[in-house]
Amino acid sequence: MSDASGNSIAVDYRGSPTPLLKLGLATTFLTVVTLGIYRFWARARVRRYFWSALAPGGDGLEYTGTGLEKFLGFLIAVAFLAVYLGLVQLGLFFAGLSLLSEAETQAKALAQMAGQYITLLAVLPLIFYAQYRGRRYILSRTRWRGLRFGVDRAAFGYVWRGMAYTVLSIATLGLLLPLQMFRLEKYKVDRTWFGTGRFEQGGRWWTLYPAAKHVVIGILLIALPGVMMGLRQEPVVWAIVVMALGAVWLPVGIVYYIVHSFRVLTGHKTLNGVIRFTSLPRTGKVIGLYLLGSTAASLIASTVATLLLAIAAGVIAAAFGGMSTPDLDAMIAGELRMDYATGMLAVAGIALFYIVFIVLFSALSMVMIRQPLLAHYAAETTILNTEGLKTITQRAGDKMVEAEGFSDALDVGAGI
Amino acid sequence: MTGTETTYAPATFYDGRTPVSHVVSLAVSDDEHLLQISGAGLEPEHYWPLDDIREHRDQALRDGAMFGCRTDGVARLTIHKPETAAAIRAMCPHLSQRDVAPRTYRKVAFWGLGAVASVLLIVLVIIPALANRLAVLIPVEQEVALGRSVMNQLEGLLGGERRGDLTCSSPAGDAALQKMVARLAAQVDSPYDLQVRVLDNGMTNAFAVPGGQVVLFRGLIGDATSPEMVAGVLAHEIGHVVNRDPTRLMLRAAGSAGIMGMLLGDFTGGTAILLVSEQMVSAKYHQGAEEDADSFAHAILADAGLPSAALGEFFGQVREKYGDVEGFLSHLVSHPDLAGRAQRAEAADVTAGDYTPVLSDAEWQALRGICGDTEVESN
Repeated sequence: MSDASGNSIAVDYRGSPTPLLKLGLATTFLTVVTLGIYRFWARARVRRYFWSALAPGGDGLEYTGTGLEKFLGFLIAVAFLAVYLGLVQLGLFFAGLSLLSEAETQAKALAQMAGQYITLLAVLPLIFYAQYRGRRYILSRTRWRGLRFGVDRAAFGYVWRGMAYTVLSIATLGLLLPLQMFRLEKYKVDRTWFGTGRFEQGGRWWTLYPAAKHVVIGILLIALPGVMMGLRQEPVVWAIVVMALGAVWLPVGIVYYIVHSFRVLTGHKTLNGVIRFTSLPRTGKVIGLYLLGSTAASLIASTVATLLLAIAAGVIAAAFGGMSTPDLDAMIAGELRMDYATGMLAVAGIALFYIVFIVLFSALSMVMIRQPLLAHYAAETTILNTEGLKTITQRAGDKMVEAEGFSDALDVGAGI
Repeated sequence: MTGTETTYAPATFYDGRTPVSHVVSLAVSDDEHLLQISGAGLEPEHYWPLDDIREHRDQALRDGAMFGCRTDGVARLTIHKPETAAAIRAMCPHLSQRDVAPRTYRKVAFWGLGAVASVLLIVLVIIPALANRLAVLIPVEQEVALGRSVMNQLEGLLGGERRGDLTCSSPAGDAALQKMVARLAAQVDSPYDLQVRVLDNGMTNAFAVPGGQVVLFRGLIGDATSPEMVAGVLAHEIGHVVNRDPTRLMLRAAGSAGIMGMLLGDFTGGTAILLVSEQMVSAKYHQGAEEDADSFAHAILADAGLPSAALGEFFGQVREKYGDVEGFLSHLVSHPDLAGRAQRAEAADVTAGDYTPVLSDAEWQALRGICGDTEVESN
């Protein structure tokens, strides 16, 4: 709700479980029965819900993208990418085959590796391109208080920077990952607009290092005992215990980095020069919500799917049991048909279980994972100096015919 | 109720020009065709034709609703009172109409055709051509390794729990199979170490995987009425092995699998793997590959002093039993010109019915019983 002074606003989250569960079930079911074609419309509808649930100062965001628009974008991307991706896939498979056998000479081994990297490098620029364009599409279809967001057309600058920083990060064994993260974020944020107001990413790249401390501790916990045992050439009990501790510490540390780098980056963003943000999500809460939600969702989904399968099996068994014995004998004698029939039944059973599980799990994960996480991030976020909003007015719309077709085709789209 | 002005409870309005929230009151004009939206600071007032009002659904508004107007671009009216929302819904006839930008459907049709053409080009022209070139470049030992991993997957697909689970074996049956394989292999100059096995499955099928592995299904041996028929089928499959057809098929499937994954989206992760495996079993080689394998079979059968007429006879017999069944019964019978192939097999026969049987009666019975006492139906 709006602050009484009118100069800072909190972000409400107003989604609720039941309508979201209904929406999730309906859209996933339609996606499965249309063999995936409905997924574009499903995405648009689910986004519309999540966007409108996020309400800074009580005013929901609006998502105006449509399924048809996304479908058209996908067709365009396929028309351009099918040939290219087919070649890349064949190339990767061929390179993978070469790895099945040992190379006889050093030169041959190098050639094999080069082949693989070249094929991978052939896709990487496309992935950066698709990510930038996908983000531009989503923001151009996002509104708040009636004003559009927007992103400049600058995908090519993003592609070469992304490539350069990736090479740099690999060359420094990940030590410069924060630099890559910061610079790419700054490139995107500085080209993002709300109406006539421009966002800006301030701060310094090395301020992300404190957020990485638990990643470093996790790596050290795994690496040091490993090195020590390597030197002694024998297993040591306490060293193995420490390594096991590191194996838990590292993933937690990665989440800590994601959460805390988000805090730092958000704290240094400005809109129109004056409006600022704070967001203080907590690592423990994020991990807790994720573990609880995913455990509950998979338990419920698998229980319901198993029950349904058992009922279906019962019905079929009853139907067969009702047959007269000679019929059954005839089926057993006609060996081949029996094999065929039981085979088809088994396949149908597996398909039923799979479909029910997928539909349920994906709907439940919206309600039990994504929604609580989004609500937590919203609750911890405040927008400051909102007086500055008064000078912002509408911007022109952005017609993007290909929507986010490229990121759909390459499957590198946003999480929601 | 012409002439009466209905006033509703306040609602919020964004005019789409400034980020200012207007608390507005609503009224329906005298002729009941316009919704009048007015409030302090809202300049000018907005008039929405009732026919043009659209509801924006899937919003997290609990009991409320959000409306827009086709002719008033970005402006939005948000209602938080259920009664007010219901009243507006009752007045507007085209709430859920989709306003699609002009020529959108033409664009969808154009790019749809483009996408289909692009996919067909890569799947039917470019990938097969490349697969043919690449297949010859793969060293034999890599083909063998590939074949082994394919076999593992296939056994899983056909219902085997562990590797080798479905492979039939009995001392006498194995010996009979080896005798048959040896007589044919002696005629072939191939870099592969031929490995032939019988899988415990009732389908009438046989296929080859990369690297010299050939699989006969129990159902096929059960359907054959003489060992020479099995030898004929085996010779045909050896033809595929020597021509590297399974490797070509694998490369083709791998190239196409990426495209299929892209088209189907991410909701079925295993599609790609499943497709590759399925293609192996159904082994739909193109017509030329089948004819080459047939000719190859005729030649080595002749060299081994065995009747290729038996292969033709088997084709005819299978067709009589199952009709022109598509799909499940493998490339052996799914080939459109089965009768022609049978004729060519008979024409290529050089034995004139005078040959040393490939197996003795006892050996033939041992081969038929190789999968244990699951006694097969004899014709």
